[in-house]
Amino acid sequence: MSEGSAGTKIDAEALARRLDEAWESREPIAPLSESEGLEDVERAYEIQTRWSELRTSRGERIVGRKIGLTSLAMQEQLGVSEPDYGSLWSSRYFPAQGGRAEIPAGPFLQPFLEGELAFLIGRPLAGPGVTLQEALAATEALAVAVEVVDSRIEDWNIKLPDTIADNASYGGFTTGPWSRDLREADLRTVGMLINKSGSRVAEGMGAASLGHPAEAVAWLANKLASFGTELEPGDIVLSGSLGRAVPAKQGDIFVLEAHGQPPLTVTFA
Amino acid sequence: MNLSDDESTLLTHIREARESRETAVPKAEELGIGIDGAYRVQAALVEGREVIGYKLGLIKPEGQAQMGVDSPIYGRAHEDMVLESPVRLSSFLQPQFEPELAVVLGEDLPPGTSPGAAHAAIGGIYLAIDFLSNVWEGGTPTVADVVANNVAGGAFLLGERLLSEPLEGSLRLYHNGRLLTEGPVGGIGNIGERLVWLSEAVSGLEAGQAIFLGTPAVPQEAVAGTIELHGPRGSVLVADLQD
Repeated sequence: MSEGSAGTKIDAEALARRLDEAWESREPIAPLSESEGLEDVERAYEIQTRWSELRTSRGERIVGRKIGLTSLAMQEQLGVSEPDYGSLWSSRYFPAQGGRAEIPAGPFLQPFLEGELAFLIGRPLAGPGVTLQEALAATEALAVAVEVVDSRIEDWNIKLPDTIADNASYGGFTTGPWSRDLREADLRTVGMLINKSGSRVAEGMGAASLGHPAEAVAWLANKLASFGTELEPGDIVLSGSLGRAVPAKQGDIFVLEAHGQPPLTVTFA
Repeated sequence: MNLSDDESTLLTHIREARESRETAVPKAEELGIGIDGAYRVQAALVEGREVIGYKLGLIKPEGQAQMGVDSPIYGRAHEDMVLESPVRLSSFLQPQFEPELAVVLGEDLPPGTSPGAAHAAIGGIYLAIDFLSNVWEGGTPTVADVVANNVAGGAFLLGERLLSEPLEGSLRLYHNGRLLTEGPVGGIGNIGERLVWLSEAVSGLEAGQAIFLGTPAVPQEAVAGTIELHGPRGSVLVADLQD
């Protein structure tokens, strides 16, 4: 138990359970920043950690991390100057086959899709002091990825501590084939388009994520170090959205196109 | 670090020159300091700061012959030396710059390693620009001078695109749109051999360290302006130099 900034007691364990109930029941909850006076970022990460522990104790596996709030636009919207991160839970990994993945709409509350670059970590990467060049050097391969972002907070009415506690608004993800060649691309200029049901609805490029997607991975490695943990071989890192998030509803068909990579089709079923 | 009186004197002069940006430093030779003593001075110069890698100097055989040595020399790179654009030239003495490649190690490289193991330890290769800071006014410094002054180590810029071998073509450095200097990538030498030599010289290298491999081109006086370094596979590093 610890003091919330509004003087209320913040019970990380109880709030983790509340988020998990929202995740399972698909009934959103009020922003923790309002209902609990949650303002402290470290406390928010503690709630996230408790929630992850709760899920892993029931068989969930953490297969990597996601980095959020990597674009200037998102940071300005939330009034923050650094990204945040969450865990990739395997129960919401939807493997693609032959460039196609089916993601069921059922489990989500208020989902959006984002186009990203995913890093497959090949060598241990421990902060502090990790540079983007080190992050790339520790990367085994990259892939294009579609992330479903979702919020357990009603109407996405989030402040920074809300989304951090809520596992950085993680929903689920899929990736295209892992490519070693993509390590050697100029990741700042790798461009991406998202088509939704035949129309182009978003576009983006690597530089939109903290100037360079590997900079986001370096940030993550350094942030994890402050929590006494590191990136390990086999971890997948979603490095942040390269364009705007696109609302998704049942029946939508998304095609993600990225320079030099095969298209990735996501059927939101 | 136990320095002789003369080595301490040289260290003090180099440190003061770097801080005050005044070039008034006795030559190592005048103080009777050889290359081993110079490396002790260099180590003391960066003491207390985290070494994040090394830089190689005198990589060309003709340069080595001129200076009377038969191997490259090395300097230490510490955290504060890796910069981002814009680069302030006022923090250097008689600044020069040169185009390079740098290796970032993916694995530790203990001394006594094999060339194959050294290649396997390469995590990535990046374009780099090496900014030199020379504390001696006029005359040609000796190897001991250069070593003591941390191989003129001032600062570095690192490219953001990972390259891997085989690498061909050249490094071309432009200033305000004009080609200043260029050199063939092959002029850097065998990267595996360089790493073997360096890991021996410094008693082992560590994963994550950046090794600046030296230039195949000719150092140029650094003045304010826009610089572009073009390298293999269309890679580019762009930066702004300011007074």
